[in-house]
Amino acid sequence: MLVDNEQILEALWETVYMTGASFLFSLIIGFPLGILLVVTRKGHLLANEPVSKVLNIIINIFRSVPFIILMVAIIPLTRLIVGTSIGTAAAIVPLVFYAGPYIARLIENSLLEVDKGVIEAAQAMGATPGQIIFRFLIPEALSSLVLALTIAIVGLIGASAMAGAIGGGGLGDLAITYGYQRFDTLVMVITVAILVILVQGVQSLGNVLSKRVRRS
Amino acid sequence: MIQFEKVAKTYQSGKQEIHALNGIDLTVETGEIYGVIGFSGAGKSSLIRTVNLLERPTSGRVLIHGKDISTLSSKEIRETRKDIGMIFQHFNLLNSKTVYHNVAMPLILANTPKNKIKEQVKDLLDFVGLADQAEKYPDQLSGGQKQRIGIARALATNPSVLLCDEATSALDPQTTQSILELLRRINREYNITILLITHEMGVIREICDKVAVLEAGKVIEQGSVFEVFTNPKQPTTQRFVRSVMNDDLPESLLNQIQDPNRSHTIYRVQFTGPSVGQPLMSRVSREFNLDLNVLFGNITELQGSPYGNLIVEFSGKPAEIEQALKAIRSDTVKVEEVKNYAS
Repeated sequence: MLVDNEQILEALWETVYMTGASFLFSLIIGFPLGILLVVTRKGHLLANEPVSKVLNIIINIFRSVPFIILMVAIIPLTRLIVGTSIGTAAAIVPLVFYAGPYIARLIENSLLEVDKGVIEAAQAMGATPGQIIFRFLIPEALSSLVLALTIAIVGLIGASAMAGAIGGGGLGDLAITYGYQRFDTLVMVITVAILVILVQGVQSLGNVLSKRVRRS
Repeated sequence: MIQFEKVAKTYQSGKQEIHALNGIDLTVETGEIYGVIGFSGAGKSSLIRTVNLLERPTSGRVLIHGKDISTLSSKEIRETRKDIGMIFQHFNLLNSKTVYHNVAMPLILANTPKNKIKEQVKDLLDFVGLADQAEKYPDQLSGGQKQRIGIARALATNPSVLLCDEATSALDPQTTQSILELLRRINREYNITILLITHEMGVIREICDKVAVLEAGKVIEQGSVFEVFTNPKQPTTQRFVRSVMNDDLPESLLNQIQDPNRSHTIYRVQFTGPSVGQPLMSRVSREFNLDLNVLFGNITELQGSPYGNLIVEFSGKPAEIEQALKAIRSDTVKVEEVKNYAS
């Protein structure tokens, strides 16, 4: 094997770091966007057709660009934000652009599952739009939201592996440089195995958490 | 008091305009239980939603205690809504929250201090008979229990008006009874005005003081429950009344009495108030030497007073029948000949 345990551990850490950081930033962007997507819909709390239309178009644009191209396309922006376009920190920028709109859609989906009658009941008791969102919509959708965000994290783990292409580091990088380009099958098998375990772990955790928050 | 003045609501569905409400004029007096009945699509649910502006009328006004609510700011509307409780056919409870939290919700929204919320929720749950279920979740409860939670929640803000949107339509007959009793208690003990919509005439008969019949977005008949039940004028109203006071004669019976050799007349005799308790029929039979054959009989309670409905075959000399009818007729007894009794 061309790499030692330390290199594998470092790569694992880089993957976790990239996924974690980009998830956090994506959530900060995607969560409010997801809420906005729902409440500006026709007939909803803060129905606003122009906002809703513009938001949908922008999100669809980002969602339709393949990640590998997005990564390259926003290099100037990445450079502006982190000062470099190479490395783990630089990979986080395109990952956020990739996952932010994705999370917005997932959150929109979850919130739309909430029974319209619950919103009506909330309005009938004199709740403000803010109260309806935070005290009715989100708590009622929480279990589904957790599952949706689990999907987002799994997606990010996969995408972060591609960040190796711009020297982003992580398990994906290791697999490409050693496993693929230098024909080290063992490295390939190990990195893929770690990724599989990682995804299984995240999904199981999401399932358990989702069940637990169903009633809060 | 709730007043509807020429309330109209038009929806745009594609290029088509749908007139859900077509100039509604109604007045619900304070302390009343007012029922609006109609088939599905008649506009009931739009009508009830104009009261707390879940739906805004396209034209016309809705006045609550004399105030036109459509002119209020959104903040004032929210304040007004706290004075108008609402319960729903499908309860619309928060499934992620306990019974306690559900009932506490309106108080939490109003920033009520925690210890006060605790006290009030306990009282409310006591009132609806679910004090021991506070820590359960809605999906662990039966339909009737869920509606009780809905009622407790609606009462939390001490409203003066309660809107019931098909509140018993998803419940079995027995549970419906107990929920209706609870609503009546609310009306009597707290003097809360209740406006309810339903498609079940039984609900109207059970608890309402007044009733309006809605069809195609219009009120086609309204009045006290007593008036409407004893003397329905519109065909739709008659259908509704017949759905709970079925006095159709069975076909086999009709075949028997439609003997051409038999000289008889059939009358519907309606008793109200004190006359219900009188042995009127047997007295008439004795005095006028008539044979009376009761084909149908029923006594129900309308708005707390008894109402009897008899269909009687009178056999005897026409002159004597005439005399007998004269003797029966009074302020509280109405007699009319039934001509086409075959329905």
